[in-house]
Amino acid sequence: EKVDDTKMLYLAHGLPQTHPVHKGILEFKKALEIKSGGTLKVKIFPDAQLGSEREVLELLQIGSVAATKVSAATLSNFVPEYHILGIPYLFRDKQHQFDVLEGPIGKSILEKGSKFWLRGLCYYDAGSRSFYTSTKAIRTPEDLKGLKIRVMNNQMAINMVNSMGGSATPLAYGELYTAIQQGVVDGAENNPPSFVSSNHYEISKYYTLDQHSSVPDVLLIGTKYWDKLSDEEKIWVQEAADESAQAEKVFWNNSVEESMKIAKEAGVEIIIPDKSLFAEKSKSVVEEFVKEHPEMASIVEQIKNQ
Amino acid sequence: MSIEVISIIVLFVSFFGLLLLKVPVAYSIGIATTLSLLLNIDKMPGITTIAQRMTTGIDSFALLAIPFFVLAGEIMKRGGIANRLINFAKSLVSSLPGGLAYVNILASMLFGAISGSALAAASAIGSIMTDRMEEEGYPRTLSASINITASTTGLLIPPSNILIVYALASGGTASVAALFIAGYIPGILLGFAIMGYVAFIAISKGYARGKRATLFEVWTFFRKAFFSLLLLVIVVGGIVAGIFTATEASVIAVLYAAVLSLIYGDMKTKDFPDVLLTSAKTTAVVMFLICTSMAMSWLFSFEGIPEMISTFLLDSLNNKFAIFLAINIILLVVGTFMDMTPAVLIFTPIFLPVVTALGMDPVHFGIVIVLNLCIGICTPPVGTLLFVGSGVAKVSVTQVIKPLLPFLAIMVAVLMLISYIPEISMFLPRLFGL
Amino acid sequence: MSKSELVFNKVNRILEWFLILIFALLVLDVLFQVFSRYIIGRSFTWTEEFARFSLIWMTVLGAAYLNAKREHLSMDFVYEKLSPANKRKASILIELFIFLFALIVMVVGGGNLVYTTLHLEQLSGTLRIPLGYVYAIMPFSGLLIMIFSIYHITRIYTNKISS
Ligand code: NA
Ligand code: NA
Repeated sequence: EKVDDTKMLYLAHGLPQTHPVHKGILEFKKALEIKSGGTLKVKIFPDAQLGSEREVLELLQIGSVAATKVSAATLSNFVPEYHILGIPYLFRDKQHQFDVLEGPIGKSILEKGSKFWLRGLCYYDAGSRSFYTSTKAIRTPEDLKGLKIRVMNNQMAINMVNSMGGSATPLAYGELYTAIQQGVVDGAENNPPSFVSSNHYEISKYYTLDQHSSVPDVLLIGTKYWDKLSDEEKIWVQEAADESAQAEKVFWNNSVEESMKIAKEAGVEIIIPDKSLFAEKSKSVVEEFVKEHPEMASIVEQIKNQ
Repeated sequence: MSIEVISIIVLFVSFFGLLLLKVPVAYSIGIATTLSLLLNIDKMPGITTIAQRMTTGIDSFALLAIPFFVLAGEIMKRGGIANRLINFAKSLVSSLPGGLAYVNILASMLFGAISGSALAAASAIGSIMTDRMEEEGYPRTLSASINITASTTGLLIPPSNILIVYALASGGTASVAALFIAGYIPGILLGFAIMGYVAFIAISKGYARGKRATLFEVWTFFRKAFFSLLLLVIVVGGIVAGIFTATEASVIAVLYAAVLSLIYGDMKTKDFPDVLLTSAKTTAVVMFLICTSMAMSWLFSFEGIPEMISTFLLDSLNNKFAIFLAINIILLVVGTFMDMTPAVLIFTPIFLPVVTALGMDPVHFGIVIVLNLCIGICTPPVGTLLFVGSGVAKVSVTQVIKPLLPFLAIMVAVLMLISYIPEISMFLPRLFGL
Repeated sequence: MSKSELVFNKVNRILEWFLILIFALLVLDVLFQVFSRYIIGRSFTWTEEFARFSLIWMTVLGAAYLNAKREHLSMDFVYEKLSPANKRKASILIELFIFLFALIVMVVGGGNLVYTTLHLEQLSGTLRIPLGYVYAIMPFSGLLIMIFSIYHITRIYTNKISS
């Protein structure tokens, strides 16, 4: 007879333990362990201990890790529909964004992952990404001319910066701090909490809140693990995920406020530009995307009209 | 016994058993990791995960510096750069008592610094210098000892592949650029310490001083060595000035060394395939070790081993100095029988969280761990540098051990200084704001 | 020279030229990356990915080549003290361990990895090639290593090479 009937759920992600999204994941762990009466135990591996986002997604498919949290940008290399969420200026504001993500469109994208053995559970707020620069302030898209801006190695991000007039420079994140400091690149782009936790605010004079993209984070479970759960357990997992998503939004907002305060106190000039100028320039990226992925054009249209 | 403890025992017992049987180190690591992981994860996911970690573990742009610096070093070795450096070093220091011994130190340092490889320095400089020194009455074993220990300075003075490996093992908490800058003073300090001891022997044994070179001669040899020395300026200067990243600097080194060797005429275009193959082999030795080590370090994280050891060290030795000392002693023991690259890959993730919890900078720890393991590659039973150095000097390993001991003692003394005085390593990186 | 020796040498020559080719491409690729940024003034997204994938191929294929040459780093301070008869036994055992690792982890584990990533249509970030092709070097090299191990074992067994 089996005495120990607890199931372990290994969850790995790449963020530090101070990060608001990690705090959201802790809520997931707490809720699931309470709901299951301790029969489902969650072990969290933060700090990319088990690998980068892409690598851990593969481990979910392989079946050695049960769950993970990744950026929708990374996920789009596995599940093409997530590309949509990377489109610049897709959402009008945060309200619109979460109405879409938590409504039928968002849910249908989460379900698309099952075909690739990666079942989406919920979205976490990861804010909006904006430019920061070390030498020259960006107030209008014209200021981007000739600036080398580090972007993630991702075609949409590259096209976006180039369309606005900058010179997109994909570079490994680990080399970025030194690259900004030494002038290999003139700047980069990220959300406020990452701008601060990476210490890039120490070496950047300007932070331009153009908020060009709002790519959410996604909590995922591998279908290899999911399929072994009972129906009851599946409900617990989904409920715990939904509850953690609501809690995370609060953590996120607090963290954005704190980060902006830290950046300002360090002497970073915060610039609030006319976003429509940047949105106008990036329209070609959306057109190109729709041309390349005609099957997703209707979803983009639905999101814009919601 | 908990499953964690059993898997740790399985891991270490099988690893050391396989090592002693002479199973290649990379395979010993891989097999031990597989056995231990299969205690925790189902068979198919388990072995697939190891295969995945082996490939993704080396899927890093920063690691490209390893093949490139290896290639640059190989080109320089064949391209007549060693001789130019020896002649220049000789014109500088040969008039001191024990002059030729300094030439050996300085040339080993310069070549080690430029090529980034202690083995390349020992083999390129040692074979030439031992003969010249014997003509002037130095025992071959003494020349070999000098050559072996002085060559290790090149692992601290940038560029250095082992520091890149450390940067990777540190999970990006220490940048390659900061480590490179941090290595200068410790490397040069080690070189001076070795020179100090050589001065002591030279005066007490009365080793002859050579003819003083005229300023004109120094100038002539400097001019001939100028473009070889310039490589150091280009590589490090380019990184500091922000023209290219540390990784890109390595490929610039390749281009520069290749062009220089062709101009010198010591290498022909038809020599390049062979140089590429030799370097590809050297690269594969190190990189395949990294492959299986990355799988092992994934297992460590999965089992929470670094956390366990760190809790143990922090709880049982409630004192910063005692913990640094304990870590240094463990690494010295490890270094006697384990080669440098696997030791850095395996022990960095274990010890780094401990020392950073105590307020040590990851860059400082990188210099400490590398210098510590520099001693290891000079000691029996497994000391690659010791073997190569004795080999090119045509003396047996056992003969070298006695004259080598005082040099090792000096290295340990420098190691203690560098461990307990962070400023030696951190002064330059802070100055450059890295 | 026996037929198996001839084949073995031929395979090694092919491996050598392949390694030289990958390394040369790797050098040119990263040089291009640096110079395109300064001379043409733009960055190409594929150069970094190409370099990383080439390094994986060079390493894993290089590992197989090292097995052919038996030049992996190993520690022989106990081995050196063995009698010639025991050295032979140990050498065969070593090759068996290598064979098993190559079979279980590289061929079966690596094969499953290739199957999974191809089946799930995972593409690389910028070159947009199936990642399974990159991983395929694992089972391929594993197969070579297994063959080399069998070759070495038969040679040790028939006393053709000193252990
Ligand atoms: Na060096
Ligand atoms: Na040793």
